[in-house]
Amino acid sequence: MSTESQVLRPPLTAAGSQPIHLSTSPLQVFLALIWDTVQEARARWLFWGLFGLSTLLILFFLFILKIDVVQGAISFMGLPAGAGRTVFSIEKFVRSAYMFVAIFLYVWGTFLAIFASAGLIPSVLEPGRIGLLLSKPVSRPMLLLGRYAGTLLVVALNNTYLIASIYLIIGWKTDIWYHSFLYAIPLATFNFAVILTVVVLIGVLSESAALSLMVAVALMFISSLLAQRQIVVNLLNSEWSRQLWQALYWIIPKTWELGKVMRDLILREDPAYWIAPLWTSAAFGVAVFLGAVARFQRKDY
Amino acid sequence: MSSRCAFKGENSESMTSDYAIETDGLQKIYRTRFTGRAFTAVAGLTLRVPIGSKFGLLGANGAGKTTFVKMLLSAVRPTAGRASLFGRDAQEEESRRPVGYLPENHRFPTYFTGAGMLDFYGALSGMSAADRKRRIVELLELVGLETWGDVRIKKYSKGMLQRLGLAQALMHKPRLLVLDEPTDGVDPAGRRHIRDILNGLTGAGVTIFLNSHLLSEVETFCDYVAILRQGHLALEGKMSSLLTKQGVVITVRDVNEQAQRLIAGMASTTRVVEDAVEFTVPTPLEANRSIDVLRAAGATIYSVIPTTSSLEDIFIEITGSSRNAGARGEIPGAEETVAAAAMSGVHQ
Repeated sequence: MSTESQVLRPPLTAAGSQPIHLSTSPLQVFLALIWDTVQEARARWLFWGLFGLSTLLILFFLFILKIDVVQGAISFMGLPAGAGRTVFSIEKFVRSAYMFVAIFLYVWGTFLAIFASAGLIPSVLEPGRIGLLLSKPVSRPMLLLGRYAGTLLVVALNNTYLIASIYLIIGWKTDIWYHSFLYAIPLATFNFAVILTVVVLIGVLSESAALSLMVAVALMFISSLLAQRQIVVNLLNSEWSRQLWQALYWIIPKTWELGKVMRDLILREDPAYWIAPLWTSAAFGVAVFLGAVARFQRKDY
Repeated sequence: MSSRCAFKGENSESMTSDYAIETDGLQKIYRTRFTGRAFTAVAGLTLRVPIGSKFGLLGANGAGKTTFVKMLLSAVRPTAGRASLFGRDAQEEESRRPVGYLPENHRFPTYFTGAGMLDFYGALSGMSAADRKRRIVELLELVGLETWGDVRIKKYSKGMLQRLGLAQALMHKPRLLVLDEPTDGVDPAGRRHIRDILNGLTGAGVTIFLNSHLLSEVETFCDYVAILRQGHLALEGKMSSLLTKQGVVITVRDVNEQAQRLIAGMASTTRVVEDAVEFTVPTPLEANRSIDVLRAAGATIYSVIPTTSSLEDIFIEITGSSRNAGARGEIPGAEETVAAAAMSGVHQ
């Protein structure tokens, strides 16, 4: 990170004569853009809406959901069985409960985040706003990256708040702590980070929040559909259609598989198939983001 | 105009210039998305703005003024030609560091307070937190918003937003100030305030590039002017030399027909105003001859006033616009909105 500075002589005697040091460090600009995005999310009530809904869910787990049902079930399962089998069953039962909660939070969190963030990219491209931003000594990729990172930060904070709180509540109520439940935080955030690149691309292309939202949600559904390839491929009657299905499967981000990875991690089953979903999704995200940057670079405002 | 500037790390041969803005054959052609029809917004503009000058860019709506400014600041990519700021290619982000910009129809994020907005744009310009903090206080005071710094800008009036926008443009002490309709929506007192601030800046060597449709504003403030017509540079020069075209207006009463015919032969215009006749003759020599004729005819000479042609006269002559420029001295533009209309729904 360059911290080279240049000093411009003070021309404005009417309003102060001290020289101003202008840094050329991109880090300062990056942080300012992130902070601007967080400020906008707060002002638009997206931030509070997202955290408010998460809080409602947390309160539901805290006060309404009878987690002693879990304890009751554990007791019930423990009575007739032998010691070894009981321990195994209890653990598996609780892990399954954790897993269902994690999957729910993964889907809930991702949808909520997409709805909340869809407007944040097009808003910065509004005429009268983007012109002023572009007049600053800031590169266009940096503008987009700062906005992306700011949106991701808001969602990552919400995911952490929601999932960690529910982890603490369940642990506190049941006194059973499965740390692997916390894998839901990075996995949900990673999945959102990939989907957000699509929101960015559509935002740059169309400057429409509604279209960005539609495409992002559609992509999640398509991804889940493509993941059923073992079943679907047998139902397709031509080789080219099977190959097309397979190709799309590898191109599109793997929301479904990432959920499965999370399930396996929580159930302490080795996720045999986790590297490919991660890197193909990441590659998709990088490619789409680069596409958005390329278009943004050439666009007139 | 001999001051030279150079940025740190620049090649001193190629990166110095006597000009704050220099364009060479700058062109922008927009094409409609589906038909591919081309509209030339700016047609090969070559322009030089000397360092420390107050330069006014005029033109009717759609003449290409805003597109030209946007090309200078890289918001719009030129189709051909080049632009440089202080000798540095305008496409380079560093070329924009010494530039302060107040856009037309700006939309500042309303979630900011006045001070918060200045802080954000100051940070983007590379200012340190300490400089920003000090500068925000100075500038809010300068533009008369010292008690409004902590108020969300959605509560600001149009005039207050313009003043805050000016403070934003001045935040990092720019050497070039590009102002697109800076007094739009500002009341007369506010306009004067803004003009006073800008006059204070030029004394310190800041170049001001003013894009305005208010002819009187440009005439009273700028020392250089350029007029665009349908993307072409129709006129460029020093304001003082453009306004030297002299004439004499003679207003008389009780003038007989014979004398009226004689003087009408010398006058460029003859106008009947209520019970008087107003002759405009082009030179003092013809004015003297006219006065002799009028005296001999026994006419009552009511007034003899030497005049210079106003910027409005020059503008109308150059752009060929016959519409009355109006009492406020605004540029008539409705008939020349081809490029503006073409801009909607078109792409590069």
